[in-house]
Amino acid sequence: MTDRYVELHAASAFSFLEGASQPEELIKRAVELDMPAMALLDRNGVYGSARFHTSAKRNGIRAHIGAETAVSCLGSRLKPPAWLPHQHIAEPVRLPLLCESRIGYQNLCQLVTQFKMREKSKVEGAASVDDLKQYASGLVCLTGGDEGPLAAALVKGGEEAGREIVERLVRIFGKDSVYVEVQRHHEREEEWRNQAAIRIAKSLKLPILATNGVRYATAYDREILDLFTAVRTHTDLDHAGRLLALNSQRHLRTTPEMEALFRDIPCAIENTSELSSRLQFELNDLGYEFPRYPVPDGETMDSFLRKRVAEGVMRRYGSKNDQDLLERAKKQVEHELTLIARLGFAGYFLIVWDMIQFCKRNDILIQGRGSAANSAVCYALEITAIDPVGMELLFERFLSDSRGEWPDIDLDLPSEDKREQAIQYVYQRYGELGAAMTANVITYRGKSAAREVGKALGFDQKSLGRLSSLVGNWEWRGKTDTMAHSFHSAGFDVKHPRIAKYLELCMRIQDLPRHLGQHSGGMVICQGQLNCVVPLERASMPGRTVVQWDKEDCSDLGIIKVDLLGLGMMAVLKDCIELIPQHYGEEIDLAQLPEDDEVYGVLQKADTVGMFQVESRAQMASLPRNNPTRFYDLVVQVAIIRPGPIVGNMMHPYMRRRQGREEITYPHPSLVPVLKRTLGVPLFQEQLLRMSMTVANFSGAEAEELRRAVGMRRSWERMKNLEVKLRAGMTVNEIDIKIQDSIVENISSFALYGFPESHAASFALIAYASAYFKVKYLAAFTCAILNNQPMGFYAPAVLVKDAQRHGLRVKPIDIQVSDWPCTIEHEIDGSLSLRMGLGYAKGLRRQSAEALVLSRSQGGLFRYAEDLALRVPLLNKKELTLLARIGALNRLDGIEHRRDALWQVERAGKPEGPLFRQRSDSLRDDTETLPLQQMNTEDRLVADYSGTGLTVGRHPMHYRRPELRREHVLTAQELKTAKDGEYVRAAGCVIARQRPGTAKGFIFLSMEDETGIANVIVTPDLYERERLLVTRSKFLLVEGPLQNQDGVVHVKAVWLKKLSDKALDLRSHDFH
Amino acid sequence: MSHRTELYACLYAREFPAQALSRLRPKLREKPFVVMEGETPSQTVCSLNSKARNLGVVCGMTKVEIDTFPAIVTIARSLNEEDTTRAAVLECADGFSPRIEDRSDDHVLICVIDIAGTEKLFGPPQALAQNLLQHVRALGIAASVTVSSNFHAAICLARGGSRAAVSAIAPGDEGIALAPLPLAVLDLSEKHAETLSLWGIRTLGMLAALPERELVARMGEEGERLRRLAQGELSHLFVPLEPEFRLEEQMELDTPVELLDSLLFVIGVLLEQLVLRATARVLALASVTITLALEGGTSHTRTVRPALPTNDRQLWIKLLHLDLEAHPPQAAILSLVLTAEHGSTSKVQLGLFSPQLPEPMRLDVTLARIKAIVGEGCVGRPVLKDAHRPDSFSMEAFTISSLTPSKAIPTRTTPAMRQLRPAEGITVTLRHHQPVSFFFRDKGYVVEQAYGPWLAGGEWWNPTLWSLEQWDLVARSQDGTLLCCCLVCDLSQNIYQMVALYD
Repeated sequence: MTDRYVELHAASAFSFLEGASQPEELIKRAVELDMPAMALLDRNGVYGSARFHTSAKRNGIRAHIGAETAVSCLGSRLKPPAWLPHQHIAEPVRLPLLCESRIGYQNLCQLVTQFKMREKSKVEGAASVDDLKQYASGLVCLTGGDEGPLAAALVKGGEEAGREIVERLVRIFGKDSVYVEVQRHHEREEEWRNQAAIRIAKSLKLPILATNGVRYATAYDREILDLFTAVRTHTDLDHAGRLLALNSQRHLRTTPEMEALFRDIPCAIENTSELSSRLQFELNDLGYEFPRYPVPDGETMDSFLRKRVAEGVMRRYGSKNDQDLLERAKKQVEHELTLIARLGFAGYFLIVWDMIQFCKRNDILIQGRGSAANSAVCYALEITAIDPVGMELLFERFLSDSRGEWPDIDLDLPSEDKREQAIQYVYQRYGELGAAMTANVITYRGKSAAREVGKALGFDQKSLGRLSSLVGNWEWRGKTDTMAHSFHSAGFDVKHPRIAKYLELCMRIQDLPRHLGQHSGGMVICQGQLNCVVPLERASMPGRTVVQWDKEDCSDLGIIKVDLLGLGMMAVLKDCIELIPQHYGEEIDLAQLPEDDEVYGVLQKADTVGMFQVESRAQMASLPRNNPTRFYDLVVQVAIIRPGPIVGNMMHPYMRRRQGREEITYPHPSLVPVLKRTLGVPLFQEQLLRMSMTVANFSGAEAEELRRAVGMRRSWERMKNLEVKLRAGMTVNEIDIKIQDSIVENISSFALYGFPESHAASFALIAYASAYFKVKYLAAFTCAILNNQPMGFYAPAVLVKDAQRHGLRVKPIDIQVSDWPCTIEHEIDGSLSLRMGLGYAKGLRRQSAEALVLSRSQGGLFRYAEDLALRVPLLNKKELTLLARIGALNRLDGIEHRRDALWQVERAGKPEGPLFRQRSDSLRDDTETLPLQQMNTEDRLVADYSGTGLTVGRHPMHYRRPELRREHVLTAQELKTAKDGEYVRAAGCVIARQRPGTAKGFIFLSMEDETGIANVIVTPDLYERERLLVTRSKFLLVEGPLQNQDGVVHVKAVWLKKLSDKALDLRSHDFH
Repeated sequence: MSHRTELYACLYAREFPAQALSRLRPKLREKPFVVMEGETPSQTVCSLNSKARNLGVVCGMTKVEIDTFPAIVTIARSLNEEDTTRAAVLECADGFSPRIEDRSDDHVLICVIDIAGTEKLFGPPQALAQNLLQHVRALGIAASVTVSSNFHAAICLARGGSRAAVSAIAPGDEGIALAPLPLAVLDLSEKHAETLSLWGIRTLGMLAALPERELVARMGEEGERLRRLAQGELSHLFVPLEPEFRLEEQMELDTPVELLDSLLFVIGVLLEQLVLRATARVLALASVTITLALEGGTSHTRTVRPALPTNDRQLWIKLLHLDLEAHPPQAAILSLVLTAEHGSTSKVQLGLFSPQLPEPMRLDVTLARIKAIVGEGCVGRPVLKDAHRPDSFSMEAFTISSLTPSKAIPTRTTPAMRQLRPAEGITVTLRHHQPVSFFFRDKGYVVEQAYGPWLAGGEWWNPTLWSLEQWDLVARSQDGTLLCCCLVCDLSQNIYQMVALYD
């Protein structure tokens, strides 16, 4: 027999907990077994098909696509007989369907979408027979294994019922499109069903098809399937009983094995290759069309776009009074429009333009980022804010003739509400079946794997919690940070068979998909036809639908998407734009912010708390060295502090060159034009593209593939091929092996995180705006950033202290004045101050606060505590106590201090009958004396931090300063003037701890005191010795030599001490 | 008893779990040590000695944290040793007054002794307290004694940790003595503790000084109670310890007994006493445990628990007899202890029309007899397990099902199968991993048809993992007899067995 066996019924891990191997693993195994083709049928969808297809293409085998579709009217799935104890629950049978043609694929997508969208929430759902009838054409139906309708019918009603069900399928799908499926897993029960199926097939003259109902690539992976079964059914392995597999036979088999198994029915094997050749459809024949945009009569999309762009060019460039720039812009736009027309993308640009218009109409700040900022068309359409012509950005990074993928545009929106508004607009405009979010496949990672495997192995709750907490959060994995080591140190015996098995299983399920989530902002749009391209389903968030592929899958299959991303800083800028005219009387145009020396001065000093992208410790440490004096320096600054450049040992060369300490050199003379702007050090993705094009003669498409390959986790295979190609190209160009090595290292290390230049420019624009607002309009900026928490690197407490150090008066929460958000107040001397909002009172419900504000605006100021309790009945006693405690009631009559307020609300907050309530005076005490003593400083600080998370009073360190002075402890400010190498002592409140993966186990602490922020470096050795102190203490005293170089100040700790026993419960941001 | 005559001494021993352990381990006291409680590996420190405290250890630290300190001895908490120590301390206190109230909490031993009217016997309270402390110290326990005419004041003062080993509050000075103590000495609810801490009230004196009416308006009755407590004026209804009701009888035998029958006679006498005492409290015996001290220093313990509590002495003797017969002691008996748990004497009321059931007591005896013959785990009803492993079942005790019997399962006519129990070992000849002939019950068979192999396996995560291969065979012997059978190979051991024959 020459025909080879083709597996036509396999499920991958994308059957979510019902399959145990990645699609790529299945393909890899199929290649090993010399299988010419294979089909993937995942549960109720094509979740894994994109990856299956891509991997199959790369390995030169054919990938057939299909799905095991649940059908509600064909009975319920086979269960063990009633007399046997089991825990199976009733589930509808699943019908294996294979796509024969593109029509078939589109029907399958529509079928799945139809029953998935019929549900109101995110559930599996099931198709009805009517759905099947509607979408039967182009699909080939198999009768299924034990999950299928034939097995269920045979067991329930014997051979007669079996024949009936097959006849029914024939009526739906047609005689030519039904195959009677037989599987042999060496199970006795299965064999009698097979014999019946063979008789039925013969009597109905239907073809018999052998499959293996594959659920994993190799027999060993049965363990993972069992584990998943336990997870899926919420039990553990010891109690899963008959839910688990009986044996491990559902793996991919070789042709000889299958032939031996089906010796008695050789036609069943022959039919697999025959059916395989019948299945013409493959995913590259998706039939996806670029979205169209409705244009007025007489216009084409191209002409309409051209007009909008021409208007935009005049608006953007006309006002700049630079004829040369305008001409260059016109030329660039023309070039881009020609390409857009040739590629047929006009609709896409118009759709995004339409979204921008919607946002502008609805007062939503929106700005494009990413590679779109390379395009003058995008700039003209106001999609982006960076002028690519003026900045000489590389358009080809965004779009080029030769590129095999479509552009995607990332749009930043102020977080949540506004973003949701924009997303809902897209749904409404393109219809429920025309737009959807891309999926985000939730996979097993360290913690989730540790937890679920532990649960399945029956570990108790306590051990489980500890097990999963052991899986480190810190980025760096030191020598002692292995999973086995942490287990050992937590008291687990790693040699115990069950613990060993646990560790092994945790490792094996890493990266396997668990369920489908939605991507935070990626949307695909397809003019009402998206359900023909990929099935849609409900997301768990109401009002959202999601496609079955993630963004990489979409991009692999050439589906255009728009990313609508929430960016907290956009909301801050938006608020600033509203607050500044209101309180400063100055109009602000975000697109026209002047270049300001004062702002650069502040950036050079790294005084950047709260500023977008430049506020992290690493950024602060490099800003004085980079010494930005113009916008492009900021673009470099944003791009440079990334894990990539540090790994690639490229940050320091740039900095050294920038400071003139190192000669500017180039890896190869041919790279001079590419790397000139960044002083010979590659920093941007555009440079990567150009480098590979220059040194290895890559085409634009190849260069882009290289960039994508290094950027993706799962493409090591591609990366390896490309590296060979890259080296070959360089050899042709006679580039020395050593130089080749350095170029390859440059490329692979930094491309992973490297920004596109355009993206860095977009971010730098926001960074500059935030810096500009902070420097020029501190009150407005602080107010806006406090009202948009949580965001950024620092806690509100740090932001407030920083603003105070810069001269802003911050006033406490006061029920007589405060609104829910923080507000700006005008002082008598004309200065502006910030009033903390009621939103910062932790535990005060928003509705209570709003009722309070309403009552105050209607009925005037509150008189005394009882008046407040009476007029705002929504405030419960807990909330009253909270307000009293943080001093928000101090301006009520008869209240001298916080304790007075506490004493009074305890009485006023007592639930009284309605009769008593009518006369508030009756609630007052007879005696006027208030017996409680005023809070001392420490009490007040504790109350402030626990009640609001911050204090507007003095910094806690201020109170300890005299004592610290005696101990020769320097302030953060004093450290700056201390000499490099001097042995110093410093103390403060730890506001951030970082252990970057790139820093070889060093830990960076930021400590705040009343004068500023000091940086501390903790060596791995010291950390090993003082683990608890470093990770737990809030206030620390450190000692060690000072590093004060180029204005960057660090204390290299050699000794640590916990500063206070009564540590305040301050919140620090730990970025692990 | 008038107010003036009240007088209490509060005996207070901190770090009781640690003290209870170090009491009999003098060497331990010389080192820093901590007592751990909780399940391995999530143990935490629950108590420690001062040497450990000086090193910086605090309660609640985990094992891993303790490991970071050098030379600290860890020892597991022993509730048993704490109980014995507590009993010893109480017994010691009992020597001074019969009225003792135990107010111990988890980690501290607190007992309050009513010492009113003991001056003539033991001298003034201070002397009594010194005397008491001496006795307690002799037990190896470090403690302190506070004396007050107010019960609660004595406890508060003790908790407040006064420096002197003995301190006394003169009658009328309670308020002054308590004033500097922190609020922590009161058992405050979390809510009240929070409110008072918000008010800045840190000491009992501050609490006592709050205006009464306003306090009641805010905290209600509890506020008043706490205030009076802080003033040392709250009265207390003394609840003295009562000896526990224990159904226990024991007897030393004059000569070692080997015969069960003579033992039964003694058991009968002891049982009579137990039954008598239980009946006096309208209780019945729910279970009886017999502990036999044997020659050679070992002991033998058995427990009998019938379906219902009963006071039928004959029945108890019968059950104990059967049990001891099934599990006889391995040496001559020196003494015996009979302890019983008590239960209520309720009777089961049967329905008028319900069928006559066997009398529960007689059924118990019968079951006990059967158990004695076939073994414990072999009586009851077998229940299939939810597992793939063939023949996996467990035994359950007989229960009366309240459910209506399930409908008969319709059965198809299928060939009958005779399961061989136990399975019989056979020799098999294989060709291409398939059986071709075998020897079974001294007869050679040639396989004519082989169906299979049917594969099954599981429990890969356990040491009990299993993997089987089954074959259904049609075989013929040399004399022409046809045999349809099922063969199983245990793949982990590669052993073939005949498990069933088909008719």
